[in-house]
Amino acid sequence: MLTALALLPLLLSGCDDKGKRPVMRIGYMNCNNEQETTKRFTPLTRYLSEKLDVEFVMVPVDTHDFEKRFREGEFAFTHTNSLLYIILRENYRLELIASDKRGNFGSRTGGAIIARKGNGINKLSDIKGKRMVFGPMLAPTGYLAEYDLMLRSGIDPEKDLAYYAIPSGSYKHEKLVYGVLFGQYDVGAAPLLDLEVMTREGKITPDDFIILAQTPIIPYCTFGAAEKTDPKLVARFRKALLELKPSDTVEIDGERVKVLNAAWADGYEQLLDSDYNPIRDMARRVNMPPYQNY
Amino acid sequence: MFKDRFDRLLLILLAVAMSALAVLLGAHAPNGDNSRAPAGLNKALEQETAYQARVALLQKLYTPVETIQKSGDLQGALFRLDDLARTYPGEAHSYILKGEILHQLGAKEEAVASYVQGIKLSGDYIDRKSPLSRRAEIQRLTDEGVKEIGSRAKANPGNASLAIAMKNVNYLQSRLAGGCE
Repeated sequence: MLTALALLPLLLSGCDDKGKRPVMRIGYMNCNNEQETTKRFTPLTRYLSEKLDVEFVMVPVDTHDFEKRFREGEFAFTHTNSLLYIILRENYRLELIASDKRGNFGSRTGGAIIARKGNGINKLSDIKGKRMVFGPMLAPTGYLAEYDLMLRSGIDPEKDLAYYAIPSGSYKHEKLVYGVLFGQYDVGAAPLLDLEVMTREGKITPDDFIILAQTPIIPYCTFGAAEKTDPKLVARFRKALLELKPSDTVEIDGERVKVLNAAWADGYEQLLDSDYNPIRDMARRVNMPPYQNY
Repeated sequence: MFKDRFDRLLLILLAVAMSALAVLLGAHAPNGDNSRAPAGLNKALEQETAYQARVALLQKLYTPVETIQKSGDLQGALFRLDDLARTYPGEAHSYILKGEILHQLGAKEEAVASYVQGIKLSGDYIDRKSPLSRRAEIQRLTDEGVKEIGSRAKANPGNASLAIAMKNVNYLQSRLAGGCE
């Protein structure tokens, strides 16, 4: 009894220490679904917690709910696509931390307007009157960049196509690529990164499609920090991301997991906010948030 | 010097032994007195043959990619190059060609990084005399890098990623100037 009483303060102080570790939430935009986001970013979140001695909580967020939840102060840090970064930057002064590197173009990627080879569509002007499929509306290289490219090429998607569609549910980008491959649509707006990954995985071959036009390359997914987040912590967060190596691991359910591999990233890069200006220009031309005029 | 008959006998025996040794060495050499030169020549010939074979193989493998690249389908060329890089990982030619295509697509920092990887694997690409030389193209990108990446890095001294990009540009500059690995 006496021993237990003697040890009690020690035990309580241990609990206090753990309790003192600050808890912060990182909002991760769902690319496809919550389950995938959780699997992808749990190791990275744990890595950041270990590095920064902060209890980070990984929160998967639906793209369309992101702005509202961020506005309500739910997240200290964000991981979103580059268009959502601009929306949060313009509306709530989100600070740029670092951008994901993945694929041939590093921290940037582009979009392409594709047609199945041999279906008689060989140049961009041939798509007039055809059936087209886009990715989700807030996708920078699956919707915005291609829509902008068409407008700049004198093709109005609202008037010059037979119709256009956006696939439902998750894995929209893959669905649209398959939709073009199997003839459901004549042309599609495909992110280059998805084409690159699907080719690498053997799902498609470069000979399946003809690239009718390609957009400029623009920044990819982006980490940001809320305006109120401690600048010193933001700097440490950035440093931890930039220092991540392919061999870095964390323990998840008793297994060592490679952090970058799980997060589908080759690494992280410190871009400048001005690197996102081409996306701002696209959003203005396409009349999309945060520059939308009604 | 020769004190007695025994000394003279020893001297004669030594001379006989030396002559016999010389005859033996001469008889077992592959081509008599000129044996050293052809051996060296053979090695040079072997190296030259291997090099020519490598150049011919690279041309055969990569000509389809370069044809697509020249047709203007840069992304298509990049996809096919990815395919080749998976079959021949670590091949310098893939990195050099990729650098060229990325440069044409406007991804300068990635293009510089790809050239660096290629040149680290083979200096032929900056050798003026090599049939594989891409020196002019590499020089052009390096000059652009010094100007554009250099000014961005200067304006953002705390940016770690720009510092890495600038380090790559400096590496290309040094190799073009004749510096070693």
